[in-house]
Amino acid sequence: MDLQKLLGSGEQCIHDEPPACAAACPIHVDVSALLNAVGAGDFQRAYRILEKKMPFPGLIGRICDHPCQFACVREKTDCALNIAELERAAVEYGYALPKKSLSVPKTLGKVAVVGGGLSGLTAAAELDKKGAQVTVYEQSPRLGGRLWDFAGSRLDPAAIAEELRVFEKRGITVHCHQKIDSDGLSALLKQFDAVYLATGTWEKELKADPQTFQVQDSLFAGGRLVTQMASVIGSVSTGKRAAVSIERFLKKVSMTAAREREGAFDTPLHFNLEDAEPEERVSCPPDGYGREAAAKEARRCLHCRCVQCVKCCSHLKSFQIAPRDYARQIGTNESVIMGAHYANKMINSCTLCGLCDEQCPYGVHLRDMVHETRKSMVEKGKMPPSAHDFALRDMQFSNSDRFFLVKSPPRFGSENGSGPEGRPARYLFYPGCQLSASAPESVEASYRYLLSHIKEGVGLMLGCCGAPADWAGRQDLMRENVERLKSAWETMGRPTFILACSSCGQVFQNYLPEISIVSLWEVMDRYGLPDCAARGAGHTLSIHDACTSRYNEPLQSGIRRIVRKLGYEIDELNYSREKTKCCGYGGLVYYANREQAEAFIKDRIGESGNDLLVYCAMCKDLFVSGGKRTYHILDLIFAEDREQAGSRRMPNLSQRQKNRAELKRRLLRELWGEELDAERKDENSLGLVIPPEVRESMEKRYILLEDVEQVISHAQKTGERFFNPESACYSASLRIGDVTYWVRYREGDGDIQVAGVYSHRMEIVRE
Amino acid sequence: MKETGERDFSWICDRCKKKLEPRKVKVSYLSGNFEVELMQCPRCKAVFIGEELAEGKMLEVEKGLEDK
Repeated sequence: MDLQKLLGSGEQCIHDEPPACAAACPIHVDVSALLNAVGAGDFQRAYRILEKKMPFPGLIGRICDHPCQFACVREKTDCALNIAELERAAVEYGYALPKKSLSVPKTLGKVAVVGGGLSGLTAAAELDKKGAQVTVYEQSPRLGGRLWDFAGSRLDPAAIAEELRVFEKRGITVHCHQKIDSDGLSALLKQFDAVYLATGTWEKELKADPQTFQVQDSLFAGGRLVTQMASVIGSVSTGKRAAVSIERFLKKVSMTAAREREGAFDTPLHFNLEDAEPEERVSCPPDGYGREAAAKEARRCLHCRCVQCVKCCSHLKSFQIAPRDYARQIGTNESVIMGAHYANKMINSCTLCGLCDEQCPYGVHLRDMVHETRKSMVEKGKMPPSAHDFALRDMQFSNSDRFFLVKSPPRFGSENGSGPEGRPARYLFYPGCQLSASAPESVEASYRYLLSHIKEGVGLMLGCCGAPADWAGRQDLMRENVERLKSAWETMGRPTFILACSSCGQVFQNYLPEISIVSLWEVMDRYGLPDCAARGAGHTLSIHDACTSRYNEPLQSGIRRIVRKLGYEIDELNYSREKTKCCGYGGLVYYANREQAEAFIKDRIGESGNDLLVYCAMCKDLFVSGGKRTYHILDLIFAEDREQAGSRRMPNLSQRQKNRAELKRRLLRELWGEELDAERKDENSLGLVIPPEVRESMEKRYILLEDVEQVISHAQKTGERFFNPESACYSASLRIGDVTYWVRYREGDGDIQVAGVYSHRMEIVRE
Repeated sequence: MKETGERDFSWICDRCKKKLEPRKVKVSYLSGNFEVELMQCPRCKAVFIGEELAEGKMLEVEKGLEDK
């Protein structure tokens, strides 16, 4: 996939698009922030927010005709926010005298504003701030125009006079009693660099550009004269926008560039109201809300923002980021040549589960973006080696002789066998590496079940499908894995793979579409459950679907049928099936950012009070590690002690590898009567005694018992070690692969007490 | 850069039976090459790196280099 194209899709993200209210406001007051402040009872902050966009907020804030309120999406659930009255409350309780603005040198040019009403005053004040030398002509005895219509009702006449004194304070020249007609206008056009006509009416028809308000050359017009509408805020908006045009005209720059969203517009924001609880509007007395009532009403605001993906993803929440910025940060990270790649950690903290894409109404493909970025980082040699190193070495272990195996069914095709002579077995059971590590006895029981239930023959293949390589962006290793699987498939006569891991399923679907696959669960659903299967007797479980089977409906339904057959009730989670969440293991996040993985675990197990039912070994291990009783579907079918199985913690990293190796050896011996020769000593031959706290640090540092054994064996063989007479400790190291491992230990009578284990990647340069 | 902790001074090289001494040693990781003062056997030149250094400062520098 083309990464640049994918990154471009991030621009479709509407997370930063304004809510309907701010878009409908012709001057784009940040209504959401305003209401947030009012809701918190901070009226001063609310007033400052208003002031940022609104001229003369002490006046306009009380008389605005609030188109924002008509756009409020709450109207669809119960009743729009009473924004008009909340604005008024912000002004009422938060009013502050305008800050003394620094006086800008008047170098922009000379501008005449004809008409001292809403639009004219706005334009005059704005142009003054921009550095124009402004002169206002007003035909009546005073400035203010329609403001005076509200005097005595919503506005106090003294307040109007006070606010308008600002013109005097700023030194803006005002000529009242001065009616300008066509001849007067011609004279002004000669005398001034630009003229803004905002007289409400004019003696002949004027045509102004709807975007720039330019009539021709240096003549601009706005307000009711152009809009023909009585909207207060509409007139204010034209004044502001005309001021921008006049500034650009005088500076001789583009009048139209980057002005698409001036004035009211329809926001592309799609706000999902499914989470909105209905709540009645707080009634407002004629003289306006009191402080507390205003705060209460403001708290009804939904603060519309598209968080469809963010709200359900622990990763996006942890990094407080939405896809648009995410894509931009990836873009920057990708283009860094010298300097730090700040987004590496973020990129390696995504589980690649795809819930964001499923939730997105606009087709942003964040999952693919992150996945392709990892591939690109690997190709450029910019992937931090420590992020996925252990998982890749673990994969290598699973595909080594220690675990890897491809076998025809035992006694199949022979005299004692159940299959027809000469025909290959129709199925190949591929349980995957993690189930074999977490619950090897379940793998064995499942295989025995398959052998006894399927007459067409079921072979066995042990190994790792390559999901870790895929998640780590290691296309080179992925190709090797795919070849290995394909060659086994060919050798075995193209059987159907029976899978017990959803991640394997995803790898087969994406990389080996020619191989037909079926899940063990669907097979069990079809052939009937083993007799030993435990019965649930009314126990209720919540099913956590594996994220790697997000779109595998037959598998999900098969699981549910089995669970019901076993006698359990199902209480579906909010996020299930195609909307399921990741447990925190996906994308190798568990290795690259353990804290992030823990956030996923916590989020998911907090969703239900019921015990969880999963069908992926890692989901179970992670949820149990978070303290949640979780059953793997095979626990319910095969476990002798079901209670205990639901809380069984995952074996440590060393034990996981040992479990795989032992599974292979046991199955070969018991089913095929074969003993592995050159058997490796998996038992602790050095007599190591490792205290629990050292074991714990080994887990955190991804150090295996085998690594410790190698270090000590090497030291014993070569004598290369250090000794500390004070503590009677030895310390030895060995470079294995790209890591140097150190072990601090004491030698006892026939045993070795390990006191500390650690590692580093930095290498000593031998001279 | 000096990276020898107090406790590192009590180590001896078990093979040479020599007390370790702080010496300038070259270390490298990815694109980074540094000279650091570490405890070294004056005879066989074996270098000792303690747990605090490996899991502290050294890890920090490694992470920094990984993001370069």
